[in-house]
Amino acid sequence: MSFTPGSVDRRIAALAALAMGLQLIDATIPSPVPGIKPGLANVITLVALLALGWRAAMAVTLLRIVGASLLMGTLVSPGFWLSLAGGLSALSILGILAGLYPRHLGPVGLAVAAALAHTVGQFLFAWAVIIPHPQLPWLLPPLLLAALLTGLVTGILTASVLADPRIRPYVRDRSRTPAG
Amino acid sequence: MNLGLRWGDVVVVMLAATLVASSFTLTYAPASGALRLVVSQAGESPRTFPLNEDRTVDIAGPAGLTRIEIHEGRARCLRSPGSQGICERAGWLERHGDMAVSLPNRLVLQLQGDGTPFDSMHF
Repeated sequence: MSFTPGSVDRRIAALAALAMGLQLIDATIPSPVPGIKPGLANVITLVALLALGWRAAMAVTLLRIVGASLLMGTLVSPGFWLSLAGGLSALSILGILAGLYPRHLGPVGLAVAAALAHTVGQFLFAWAVIIPHPQLPWLLPPLLLAALLTGLVTGILTASVLADPRIRPYVRDRSRTPAG
Repeated sequence: MNLGLRWGDVVVVMLAATLVASSFTLTYAPASGALRLVVSQAGESPRTFPLNEDRTVDIAGPAGLTRIEIHEGRARCLRSPGSQGICERAGWLERHGDMAVSLPNRLVLQLQGDGTPFDSMHF
């Protein structure tokens, strides 16, 4: 049995490093409301999903969450568990929807679905475990609206990353449509 | 820029917009439970007034009279002896948990519905 890293492992490591950097940038962006963040690292999750597949996206996301929380000193803090709950929810919905790419669904739809799943999963986890207050749902609508908007933005960013000629050759393109 | 849009994107975004819109309407719809105004004054047991009948109430306190107006399902502190007008400036109390206070008259006006509201949120 050999543990030599293959080329996919290297790509996963590179994407995870990029995602950690983006999550750190994310954390430094001031937000008017706690819980609202651009979620820039989700661009990398989507790129990993569309270029390397769902298992790679899972690996990149878990590495990103653990790595970024180590760097920020929030490992096993509530923020870490919230991040994990959101990340796993987003990955679940991406696993369901990824098969529709690229024939029926583009990066924007995937990103919006992932962003909403992230927010809903995180919210349910927060409500169930961290702040089980009957009126916490009052916070949910603005968070969902923010998720819709940030999902659109990350979707557009993902589309532009995927259109980059240096990324393009790695992206699954089962529909055989000519790249625009 | 080519966004690679497919019909699925339109469906996802429309479903997402519907979810967001319905979350707003469902969450922020006016509570069905009847609101009542609870007047608590130091040294007295709290008095409760329903909000569905318009009336004005005068509450005597150590500093003078506080006049409370109940009108169309909301309540406000119309006049109060406090020199800074803090009780009046609380404005109309419309939601569960809304509060107006007159310290000179040792008086707290609060709307109560069903359940308990947030006192504060910390992150």
